[in-house]
Amino acid sequence: MGNQAQILPGTLDLLILKAVSLGPLHGYGVLLRIEQISRGALLVEQGALYPALYRLVRQGLLKARWGVSDNNRRAKFYELTAGGRRRLREEEDGWNRLAAAIGSALKARPEEV
Amino acid sequence: MEEELRAHIEERAADLERTGVSKAEAERRARIEFGGYQRFKEECREVSGTHFFEALLQDLHFGLRMLRKSPGFTAAAILTLALGIGTNTAIFSYVDAWLIKPLPYPQAEKLMVFLSHDKKKGWTNNSVTSTADFLDFQHLNTSFEQTAAWAGWNFNLTGDGPPAFVEGGRVSWNYFETLGAKPILGRTFTAEEDKPGGGHVAVLGQGLWQSRFASDPRIVGRTIKIDDETYTVIGVMPGTFQFPLMGIANLWTPMALNDKETADRNSSWFSAFGRLKPGITQTKAAAESEAIFARLEKEYPQTNTNATSQVSSMIEEIGKNEGTTQVMICFWIVALILLIACANVANLMLVRATRRVKEFAVRRALGATKGRLTRQVLCESLLLFFFGGVAGTLFGAWGMKWIHSAIPDHVRGYLVNYGEVNLDFTTLGFTLGIALLCGLVFGLAPAFEGSRADLNTPLKESSGQASESGRGARLRRILVGAEIALAVVVLICTTLLVRSFLISVRSSPGFNPANVMVAQLQLPKTRYRQEKTMRNFTEQALERIRALPQVVSAGAASSVPFGGFGQVVLIAAVGKPAPKPEERRGARFTAASTDYFSAMQIGLVKGREFTSEDGPGNSPSAIINQTLARQMWPNEDPIGQKIQYGEQHNIATIVGIVTDIKMSQLRARPERQMYVSLTQFPSPSLGFVARTAGHSTEMESAIRDEIWAVDRDQPVSAVEPLDTLIMVTDARNRVLTKLMVFFGVIATFLGAIGIYGVIAHQVQQRTHEIGIRVALGASPVQVVRMVLGQGMKLAGIGVGVGIAAALGAARSLASLLYGVTPNDPATFTGVALLFGLVAAAAGYLPARRAMRVDPVVALRHE
Repeated sequence: MGNQAQILPGTLDLLILKAVSLGPLHGYGVLLRIEQISRGALLVEQGALYPALYRLVRQGLLKARWGVSDNNRRAKFYELTAGGRRRLREEEDGWNRLAAAIGSALKARPEEV
Repeated sequence: MEEELRAHIEERAADLERTGVSKAEAERRARIEFGGYQRFKEECREVSGTHFFEALLQDLHFGLRMLRKSPGFTAAAILTLALGIGTNTAIFSYVDAWLIKPLPYPQAEKLMVFLSHDKKKGWTNNSVTSTADFLDFQHLNTSFEQTAAWAGWNFNLTGDGPPAFVEGGRVSWNYFETLGAKPILGRTFTAEEDKPGGGHVAVLGQGLWQSRFASDPRIVGRTIKIDDETYTVIGVMPGTFQFPLMGIANLWTPMALNDKETADRNSSWFSAFGRLKPGITQTKAAAESEAIFARLEKEYPQTNTNATSQVSSMIEEIGKNEGTTQVMICFWIVALILLIACANVANLMLVRATRRVKEFAVRRALGATKGRLTRQVLCESLLLFFFGGVAGTLFGAWGMKWIHSAIPDHVRGYLVNYGEVNLDFTTLGFTLGIALLCGLVFGLAPAFEGSRADLNTPLKESSGQASESGRGARLRRILVGAEIALAVVVLICTTLLVRSFLISVRSSPGFNPANVMVAQLQLPKTRYRQEKTMRNFTEQALERIRALPQVVSAGAASSVPFGGFGQVVLIAAVGKPAPKPEERRGARFTAASTDYFSAMQIGLVKGREFTSEDGPGNSPSAIINQTLARQMWPNEDPIGQKIQYGEQHNIATIVGIVTDIKMSQLRARPERQMYVSLTQFPSPSLGFVARTAGHSTEMESAIRDEIWAVDRDQPVSAVEPLDTLIMVTDARNRVLTKLMVFFGVIATFLGAIGIYGVIAHQVQQRTHEIGIRVALGASPVQVVRMVLGQGMKLAGIGVGVGIAAALGAARSLASLLYGVTPNDPATFTGVALLFGLVAAAAGYLPARRAMRVDPVVALRHE
């Protein structure tokens, strides 16, 4: 558990969008997928997942429809809308720029200042 | 959502099972991991849409609590709104009943009334041009399915009870058919019965059938005595049947025009209407009518020059009787009053909002959105206006009851539905509608005020010093200024109308109506065929009435002023060139007994009254009024001249001149009036006037008894004071005036409250400043001037704008004014001064409070 990073508030939405962009998922599936693609480093708190999903649906970035899961159970599946795809791209770009900036700041050596 | 979350848990449990955990254990762990999901069910719901209604309910609940916490504000606001909205409710119900709802006939909009119109002189009246003209029109027109005629008529019923005077009408055979009204018993007339000698048949009204004939189930076929002749009842009309142009009617007989009447191309005694054929419009019918009458003009130049007939919608004509103009004026005035009331309430709400700025700032800082706050304040406003609407409905219902009771029974016959107006759904809907609309419009400003962007300043400020922010205060000043302007407009309009009424009532009618009792009756032809018998009756009755101890003087006439009917004859001066047909003049014609003028206290200007000299066999005498004298004999003494009048071209010698009197309206124009001696020309319709020493109720029965002593079968109409007759005729104006007084008072009162609010608030704001000034040596007078200054300036601007607006608005009242012009300077200056005084008075209390400010306390006041 020591390798797990804290999920910053606000990044959950980004992760959900990314997870769903790889294919429609139901709630539990999104949880697993995030764990999977972060190679176990990010665990989503179950309490935060569904409110975030509903919020994204309300904002028009995800759309939901009822379907049947692998275990033959009825579940709600979420997939990206066009707006969601757009938002994912924007957030990804923003996040990458931020990461690069922080990264270069952290690499500063005493001689450079 | 439940399902989704459960599915999640089950998936997790299945996963755990696959790693070897037992099913029960897996489920337990899955559920623990997920946590109590109740708490984020809440969050989920918050994020999804169903939240809206719950939030709304919450807002309403909160709003109610806030209103309850400030009972003073709530009570004041609701009362103000009750006044504003209630008046609108009451007036709208009349607008709805009289102007919007249709007449109770099928396809009533197709019913058209024929008005006669003189193209040269420009006058119009509601009877047909002449009998022969109407009959020709009936044959020649192609626009109307049916045309029918009617005339109000009074009947004497005898037998089956005490002799009674019944109001009703003589109508053409298809009168009921054309309207589309059906009897509840029997049938209505046939064409055969509408001929002279076509059998005496009558239709009763349900009221008469119940009261006089005890709802006899075999009334159809029963014979009754009308005017001493036997008639057979052939049908009964329902109590709901009404014909507002005629007034109250309970008995109808066929017109049965005789040959002489059908050939009469000079005059007529009835009015007419028709039902348009499907597809024909009013304009088309009017054009055809003009064309037909143009033809008649050519064919009969002696009688028909310049005569034509206009086609008007019956709904419009009834509206004129009801007073459409008056109702609409009330409507606009109460709309203004509503605006004034709303402005007042908006001000109250704004002041309250500024006090709560700190509360809102705290809530905003804690995370409430601007939208949410705005919505909540708006909810509060809507709640307030809703309650105001409810209170207004109650107030309005009470107002309607008052108006209803103020209209005399007699007048009700001319109102649709007998003046009954109910609080129905349309009116309730209207009330609710305007309450909520005003709530939205006037509630927005305080709502925005409360959720302003700036958070820091309110939080930093100390509690009492609610900021006199530029925007908020200016809005309040604009509201009060507008309010005052509106109040001035309302007050000016109502004052003009009230003054018109007072002037008309105080203006002398030309006679002295105080302590005069009037008894009206009609001698039936059957028992009073000869002039001698009519004369004997009149003289005997007069003798007996004069003998009564309380009677000072008495007289009789063929029609009395304000008695409800009169006669007009064409006149010409003998010895002067004969006037052309279209220039012939008419005059009001009355046959009067000896002592009539002195009993009525009508001034005798020259010559003499009728005396016993003017008896049968002597040369006919006439008395004329000043207007007639002036117009016909402008440069000579009319006494001794001869005047020709009437159909038979009778000639009479003028023996006296009397002052003008008002015969049917208080607001009458001067008209030509002439009198002949009742002894020389006895009349079957009579009005006895008796001037009494004092008024007592026994006079009524005493007079009636004396008449019955002469002829016990003679029905007599209600014996009542002449004052009452005048009041009844003027009832509509009377009710309107009372309403206007009420509206004027409300408007002034609300305006005064507005000014008081502004000045009081000012004082409170500037207490600190006042303290400083007083400490620095300002005198109380200077303090008062400072405090009142802004308020009075505001009032001044408001009054100025109001007067300017009123100059325009009052012009629309012109048709209702009497004795005052729409721009009457006395009224305008009076109202301006009044408002100045009102503003000063309203500012007095707060100013006094300002003067008493203790500088030490004020300086410490935060």
